[in-house]
Amino acid sequence: MKHRFAGLIACTALALSAHATDLQVQVQDEQGKPLADAAVFLESRDAKALTKPLASIEMAQMNRQFVPTVLIVPTGTPVSFPNRDKVRHHVYSFSPIKKFELKLFAGTPANPVVFDKSGIAVLGCNIHDNMAAWVVVVDTPYYANSDKLGFATLSGVPAGTYHLRVWHPRLAVGAAAADQTVVVGTTTANITYKLVGLTP
Amino acid sequence: MNLRWSLGHWGLTARIVALSLLLLLLVQAAVFSVVRLSMEQSAQRQVTQELMVGERLWRRLLDQNAQKLGQGASLLAADYGFREAVNSQDVDTIRSVLENHGARIGATVTALLDTSMALRAVGEGQDESQIEPLLKRLAGVSAQQAQGSQVALVGRVPYQFVLVPLKAPVIVGWVLMGFPIQQKLLDDMRALSDIHLALVSHADGQANELVASTLPGDVLGSITTLDESVKELPMGEDRLVTRWVKLDVGASGSVSTLLLRSVNEVVAPFRRAQVALAWITALGVVMFALGSVFAARRVTTPLRSLVNAAGIMGRGRYDVPMDFTDRKDEIGGLAQAFDSMRINIGQQQDEIRQLAYWDRLTGLPNRARFREVVQTHMRQVTEGGIPQSGQNMAVIMLDMDRFKHVNDVLGYAFGDQLLIAVAKRLMQCKLGKDDMVARLGGDEFAVVLMGSDADTATVLAQQIAKSFEQPLALDEQMVDMSASMGIACFPEHAQEVDALLSRAEVAMYAAKARTTVLQVYSPSLDSGSAQTLSMLSELRQAVSQGELRLFLQPKIALQSNGVVAAEALVRWQHPERGLVPPLQFIPFAEQTGFVRELTNWVFREAASIFKSLDSGSPQLRVAVNLSTRDLLDVDFPARLDGMLAQYDVPAEAFCLEITESAIMDDPQRAQNTLNTLSKRGFKLSIDDFGTGYSSLAYLKSLPVDELKIDKSFVMNMETDEDDAKIVRSTIDLAHNLGLTVVAEGIENALVWEKLKELECDEAQGYFMSKPIAASEFNAWCQSWNQRHNLQT
Repeated sequence: MKHRFAGLIACTALALSAHATDLQVQVQDEQGKPLADAAVFLESRDAKALTKPLASIEMAQMNRQFVPTVLIVPTGTPVSFPNRDKVRHHVYSFSPIKKFELKLFAGTPANPVVFDKSGIAVLGCNIHDNMAAWVVVVDTPYYANSDKLGFATLSGVPAGTYHLRVWHPRLAVGAAAADQTVVVGTTTANITYKLVGLTP
Repeated sequence: MNLRWSLGHWGLTARIVALSLLLLLLVQAAVFSVVRLSMEQSAQRQVTQELMVGERLWRRLLDQNAQKLGQGASLLAADYGFREAVNSQDVDTIRSVLENHGARIGATVTALLDTSMALRAVGEGQDESQIEPLLKRLAGVSAQQAQGSQVALVGRVPYQFVLVPLKAPVIVGWVLMGFPIQQKLLDDMRALSDIHLALVSHADGQANELVASTLPGDVLGSITTLDESVKELPMGEDRLVTRWVKLDVGASGSVSTLLLRSVNEVVAPFRRAQVALAWITALGVVMFALGSVFAARRVTTPLRSLVNAAGIMGRGRYDVPMDFTDRKDEIGGLAQAFDSMRINIGQQQDEIRQLAYWDRLTGLPNRARFREVVQTHMRQVTEGGIPQSGQNMAVIMLDMDRFKHVNDVLGYAFGDQLLIAVAKRLMQCKLGKDDMVARLGGDEFAVVLMGSDADTATVLAQQIAKSFEQPLALDEQMVDMSASMGIACFPEHAQEVDALLSRAEVAMYAAKARTTVLQVYSPSLDSGSAQTLSMLSELRQAVSQGELRLFLQPKIALQSNGVVAAEALVRWQHPERGLVPPLQFIPFAEQTGFVRELTNWVFREAASIFKSLDSGSPQLRVAVNLSTRDLLDVDFPARLDGMLAQYDVPAEAFCLEITESAIMDDPQRAQNTLNTLSKRGFKLSIDDFGTGYSSLAYLKSLPVDELKIDKSFVMNMETDEDDAKIVRSTIDLAHNLGLTVVAEGIENALVWEKLKELECDEAQGYFMSKPIAASEFNAWCQSWNQRHNLQT
């Protein structure tokens, strides 16, 4: 939940400086069912310029699961991997944007992993095959995770034209986030986004 | 007999044995067929079952292989280095790892596919073309469907494949591993079970091909020609039952595993059981045969014994006890029943024999028993050929005189007592051990004397007669007994029992007729004998040929000494035998009835010469003897009339002499005849008076003129005072009744004088003259008259 906190702080800062508004996106699958844990973010040249890495963020391992499953971070953000289980984990990523390997560790490894390229990294545990998590690295400060009802709220977005990107783990392996152009006005907008190409 | 019984005995035994064996064999045959049927069904079921199990085993084996493959593939897919190599697109490394992991589990095909099932790499040194058919098959198949084991034809060889996802951590590709299904797997299967296997592949458009097989070479030849409709396969003397197991290889062709089970191997234990059952049956038959022979013998041996015993009983022996009466079963019951039957029948037989052979009244043997004894003796003797001396036999037949009279007068009860007393007397005679006294019936008794001839029998008969002289005291009455006895001897008189008895009877009747008490049989007595027949014809001849002669014995009037009468007597001048004594043919003539001819002849002869007779007395009477038969002949008076008329002689010239017994045979008829004759004018005289039992009172009722005192009294009267008294009283009584008295048997002057003194009317006897020929009569009379100074 900390990243939400962080996002909220960022939005508040933007709203103070310019004409900014909130964008609420509900992510649905093709059948119209709300999708949770989708990554929703807006990209534009201006936004890219405003990107700032977060100081620190965690991708914890609890109960042999990554927490959170989907973590959205701005480019350049160092992510620490605290192990809150009693067993050791061996976290790795073969993803092109960031290949790394944290061999059999307990507690929090000394050096956080800095995600310096935008894209999607798939994290796994070499010991626990069923553990999987995704780090979505974005070049924008406007991003959010969809909640259980599929709602993702992007706050303090200045008016303008953006690429609305939506990604979900159920998209095919290596597939890029869906892309849709949206114009953000001065008032709060609600968008319903149907994501296609999901695997069952 | 023994053979027949033994056959019969075996027959029953054999039947029992055969029946039990038949039943046993039927049961065994039923058992055998049921067992055989169930064995066959069971074997069939077992074969089917084993083949089903075989199929499961086979599929299980394939699964295990697949699992091994899968494990290998999973191991490979989970290998971090491999995943790293895959992510790093290092193809050489990938192929090397694939080859290495494939070799670990013996997979001949190892490949990496991408998420869309396109080939990314194959194991080092492996041929990509090998997996093309499988890739074709996998094309368009979802990941989930693709997982697990697959079989596909590679060329003509079926391969088993597994597909395992490669996760990093999401599915980034597929690891494919496969190896051919070949001989080793079939051998493994064969080692696990008794089932033969043959792997047959069929690629599209090509013939079936045998890939591998555990079958011996000679059987293999026919395999590919088979299709799934063939259920059996011959293998030498054995046959193999098949089961086709089809493996899914997709559309490219087909792979079938043929499971084959030897029927013989399955049936072998059943066959052994059948053989054992056959042995048990054979043994059972033997034991059953022995057992039933034993059991049947337990029945038939006593039965045979009982049959024998019954046979013995059937032959009339009831003294042999039955065997097996101590047995407690039905046989024992039967034997006991038989035994009690034997005892009862024996007792009844004894009673019957008693009734049949013994006279109840006197306790003597009866006629049947007597006859049997005589017959048995005859048979024993004649069987030995000609009878030897000492083997002869005499029969004395005894009949009570006047018994009917006793019965009539004193009653039957008294008669019975008399018979019992007679039996006792007879039993007191000295008899040999084999001799026997029997009551033949009525008042007729008989004695058989073994080894006796007529002389010894006569001696005994005389003893009997003597014993009868003693009067019997019965119910305070004294009874005089007398009997007539006839003796006939074996073998002289008869060789057959009935003839012997009948001849003894003839002799007995002769004795009775002659009142001689005792008579030995002679053929002359017997009207039926051959000798009699010849005698009869001789007599007839004597009459026709004029061999008979008339003799006359004068009767002298005691007062006047005049010849007042003569008794006409017949004599037979036989051309060969000379003068035949009267006793030799008169009794015979009386028995046969020829006596009537003689009477006729005498009467005719006397009548014919009557006029020529000159006795010197004015009125000569000729006396003619009549027999019983004459008296009973109703035509007799008429015949006399004819003769009197013929010779012109008055009836008064004749005196007819009749014995008492002749009258007593049928008093009524005799009296009628006598009355007729008396009316005709004949004088009637009672001959032999005193020997019979007729009373004077009875005689008085008859038209009699004269009594003739029997010579037995007359001859003894000079010595025996009693006889003299009888003669005297008889004369007195006769005179009182108005009868004249004639005495015969005068042999000396003393008697003559005595009779004269007693006033007897006439006398006849040898003292005066024996019978003389008729032709000499006149001369004798003249001489007599001259001696006694009588004027004619």
